[in-house]
Amino acid sequence: MLEFIGTIAGNILSLPGILGFSLGLLTRRPALAAVFGGLVGLLEAMIFSGFSLAAAGGLELAVSVAVGVVAGVLGCLVRRKGAMV
Amino acid sequence: MADPNDTRGALRRIWDWFWTPSSVLSVGFVLIAGFMAGILFWGGFNWSVAASNSEEFCVSCHSMETNLGEYRETVHYNNHSGVRAVCSDCHVPKEWNHKMKAKAIAVKDIFYEITGSIDTAEKYEARRTKMAMAVWKKMKASDSRECRNCHAFEYMDFTMQEVRAGSEHQRAIDQGMTCIDCHQGIAHKLPPNYLEEYEKVARALAPGTRPEAHQSARIDAQAIRSFLSDAR
Ligand code: HEC
Ligand code: HEC
Ligand code: HEC
Ligand code: HEC
Repeated sequence: MLEFIGTIAGNILSLPGILGFSLGLLTRRPALAAVFGGLVGLLEAMIFSGFSLAAAGGLELAVSVAVGVVAGVLGCLVRRKGAMV
Repeated sequence: MADPNDTRGALRRIWDWFWTPSSVLSVGFVLIAGFMAGILFWGGFNWSVAASNSEEFCVSCHSMETNLGEYRETVHYNNHSGVRAVCSDCHVPKEWNHKMKAKAIAVKDIFYEITGSIDTAEKYEARRTKMAMAVWKKMKASDSRECRNCHAFEYMDFTMQEVRAGSEHQRAIDQGMTCIDCHQGIAHKLPPNYLEEYEKVARALAPGTRPEAHQSARIDAQAIRSFLSDAR
């Protein structure tokens, strides 16, 4: 449980959370934002496991992709609410 | 500004103001101001994370003093070359995402400090096994990543090490063992039955490993004594 919450928090404060959110700001389309965020999550998991899917670990990967998707969509919502373009 | 017909609550008004397009600030101004604020914020964040890695910070909690005392007796505190490993070198990862995860998990310790889970020597000893197992589990799972920030088998000159160390390290490479498999108690006192407890951790992480592969690097006085008396 603790491990799980820690993994989520760690991802929010690293690439998936921050870059995912920033990329989400670039679009008004939630689906695209989610894809951006998910890709960042995937990228992060790959970078920190030395580019081997086996080493990434299922949970680790799932959490970083999920956090990326949520951050991307959140960024997209901010874009819709806060910009006229 | 104050419109008598405005029936919105204070929070609502702040919310609406926050999302109102700016007509007095240029895009450039907003971007530059945001950029500067970002640097300030990030610098401050980074600085606090770095500050929370200092030995002073760790032992600012009474609960951590037992470990400080034990660690002060070991080579990682005091040695001939003066190169040290502080608490965070072994307990906090260097890679950003692992570091953030460790910091987030450590927030639980504030709660334990307040409730005083280990605030007396008796309580500490009662909980030592459990805490040591948490640390072992982390190190075993990460292949002793924190140790390897400073130590690497690749650069060890086995001919310069004691005979036992050199041959054990060769065995470790051959069998894919990790530092914590043998150096369980490198910085603090070990809990009783630590070998058995360590086995539990290792087996839970990798079912099917041979238990005899794990062995302590501790000097086993009893074994040496019986070896000597047998030899005689
Ligand atoms: C807020 C006070 C406080 C600070 C600051 C603190 N600790 Fe702790 N720490 C505790 C308490 C209380 C526990 C006992 C937790 C328990 O009972 O499970 C603990 C447990 C631990 C454990 C045992 C393993 C675990 O995960 O439970 C380690 C390792 C540890 N601390 C290392 C550190 C290091 C390294 C630092 C400095 C970066 C540090 N602590 C700073 C209060 C603190
Ligand atoms: C050379 C690496 C190293 C350093 C430096 C180090 N530790 Fe540890 N620590 C370990 C290992 C390995 C364990 C698990 C086994 C054990 O209990 O010794 C551990 C266990 C712990 C525990 C769990 C309880 C226990 O006694 O097993 C706490 C709390 C802790 N360390 C705090 C600290 C604090 C505070 C410092 C700095 C004053 C520190 N450590 C410095 C390696 C280190
Ligand atoms: C910050 C760097 C650093 C980290 C992290 C670190 N060490 Fe060390 N370690 C050293 C240095 C430096 C020495 C040698 C001190 C000397 O003799 O000059 C040393 C010495 C040792 C020794 C020799 C002990 C002796 O009695 O001569 C062992 C064993 C050891 N480390 C194991 C570990 C393990 C296991 C870990 C991970 C839990 C670890 N170290 C983490 C820097 C580090
Ligand atoms: C198979 C068990 C085993 C493993 C695995 C192991 N060691 Fe050792 N190591 C020993 C023994 C035994 C000694 C000698 C006893 C001692 O000095 O504590 C030793 C000694 C050392 C020394 C002191 C050498 C000297 O002669 O000054 C260092 C440093 C050290 N180990 C670091 C590490 C590091 C770092 C790792 C992980 C990369 C590691 N060891 C993994 C068994 C092991």
